[in-house]
Amino acid sequence: MKNKHFIHRVLIAAALVILALYIFPYLYMVLTSFKPPNDVLSIPPTFLPKQFDLKNYLQIGDYAYIPKTFLNSLVIALLSSTFTLILAVPAAYAVTRFNTRYGRVFLVGTLVARMIPYISVAVPLFFIMKNFKLIDNYIAVAIGHMTISLPLAIWLLSSFFEGIPVELEEAARVDGCARFEAFLKVIVPISLGGIAVTAIFSFLASWNDFLFSLLLTSTNTKTAPLAIAEFNSQYGTVWGTMTALATLFSLPVIFVSFFLQRRIVAGATMGAIKG
Amino acid sequence: MERSSRTFVILLTIPAALFFLVFFTYPVLLLVYNSLFDVSLLALQNRKFVGLENYADILTSAQTIKLFSQTLQFTAITLGSEFILGFIAALTFNAIGRKSEVLRTMFLFPLMVAPIVAGLLWRFMLIDNFGILNHILTGLGLIQRTADIAWLSNPKIVLLSVALPDIWLTTCFVTLILYTGLQNIPGEIMEAARIDGANALQTFWSITVPLLRPVIAAVIILRGIDAARTFDSIWIMTGGGPMGRSEVLSLRIYLTMIRFGRFGDASALATVFLVVLLILCLIAFYTIWKPDISKR
Repeated sequence: MKNKHFIHRVLIAAALVILALYIFPYLYMVLTSFKPPNDVLSIPPTFLPKQFDLKNYLQIGDYAYIPKTFLNSLVIALLSSTFTLILAVPAAYAVTRFNTRYGRVFLVGTLVARMIPYISVAVPLFFIMKNFKLIDNYIAVAIGHMTISLPLAIWLLSSFFEGIPVELEEAARVDGCARFEAFLKVIVPISLGGIAVTAIFSFLASWNDFLFSLLLTSTNTKTAPLAIAEFNSQYGTVWGTMTALATLFSLPVIFVSFFLQRRIVAGATMGAIKG
Repeated sequence: MERSSRTFVILLTIPAALFFLVFFTYPVLLLVYNSLFDVSLLALQNRKFVGLENYADILTSAQTIKLFSQTLQFTAITLGSEFILGFIAALTFNAIGRKSEVLRTMFLFPLMVAPIVAGLLWRFMLIDNFGILNHILTGLGLIQRTADIAWLSNPKIVLLSVALPDIWLTTCFVTLILYTGLQNIPGEIMEAARIDGANALQTFWSITVPLLRPVIAAVIILRGIDAARTFDSIWIMTGGGPMGRSEVLSLRIYLTMIRFGRFGDASALATVFLVVLLILCLIAFYTIWKPDISKR
């Protein structure tokens, strides 16, 4: 028994080492952003800041367009995830609950849409949006992001709806509800958990996207990832400001996600385990 | 199937189906159509029909083989590494049991990090003389000087370097899926194996792995697709260089279109990429994964 206890401790120690190594790169970036700008690239590099300094963050103020890019990211992510849900919830419900040939074709289509390389959609979408003079319009980027999130959302939701007992809906129908009414008043309320998971993943797909934003936005609707990436070349790689921006961009999402952890775990496993 | 059900299904799916038609099917058809023309990005209306010439160029170019092979190598490096690392982490968490919950929660945070941020922070750690990784390796005595490994400028290893952000980002996802799979294996089966005198390694190979097969297949397909179409992290780390040695298909298609302005060529290459990836996926999908949808 004592032996087993020892093994357990070794395992926990091993897990802690794995975790520490895993967190290191991100922690290093966050800590770097709090170094005085001149210490950011020091030889030899140090892990901890010699002194805690907010100058890298204050320097962001020199670039007046930056707050707008964060706002753009938020607007686009909210737009695309809202419309994703509006389209995906009824569709996923219908194809999961009723076994029709059309529904099966629809699901296979969604699956194929998930396998297509983003670039192969982004290139012609760029062409279309250019023709309709929609480049640098919120709608264009939001649509671009929906091509990522919609197939994902339908897939996630349909494995979620599979777990809801048919009897619930039948009971509502016996009570005289029309089909669509039963869907809105019975199914949607009890599915809020799955819908929330899908909302989180749709939001993240848009918030973290780079490729579609790169092709479909310009000065007005530029998103935060683009603004961060631009520091890479335009200003000769200002590492201090760049790490500060990257921290501002990613840390709130990580922070919020810790409170939504159970939903996120559910979402990440749903698509793969249940298939 | 009663008719009213069919109408109901069609009504509820129409908005999503229209979206797919307009923003998926139509663009893909347009992509194929555009690939038959010589179009310059600067004058999109001024197009010249060239038939299959763009495809002939792709098939006869030595660059193409290099590009496909680099994309394949990148995918293999990424998938292989995160699979091995993910399995180690999942087995460790599984052995600890339910107490590992806090650790597992913390382990998942890269799931939220944007690939562009991951690429950036790895680039920061790998810059030739300033990078902390070489500094650590020197400290450990593994290399003599910090300049000994030029992660981002040595053409021989750059493909490995640009795979690091992706491996870092998604090992947690692989771990989560494998861990859940491990948790779903009934304890009695493991117990029975132990009573029969199987050692840990035998149990792993003849019980754990076969029972995890569907989960493993799902991970390979889902992650394989994502790895094959990676763009962001490579773009920010090297932009495809040096000497195009970290260039993958997504990157080359983008560069062909935006930097060289050759819209027709970009469309043709994007079409080839799409067809190849789709064929590989469908083969993998129906041979190793077989989720419910194919049985229904």
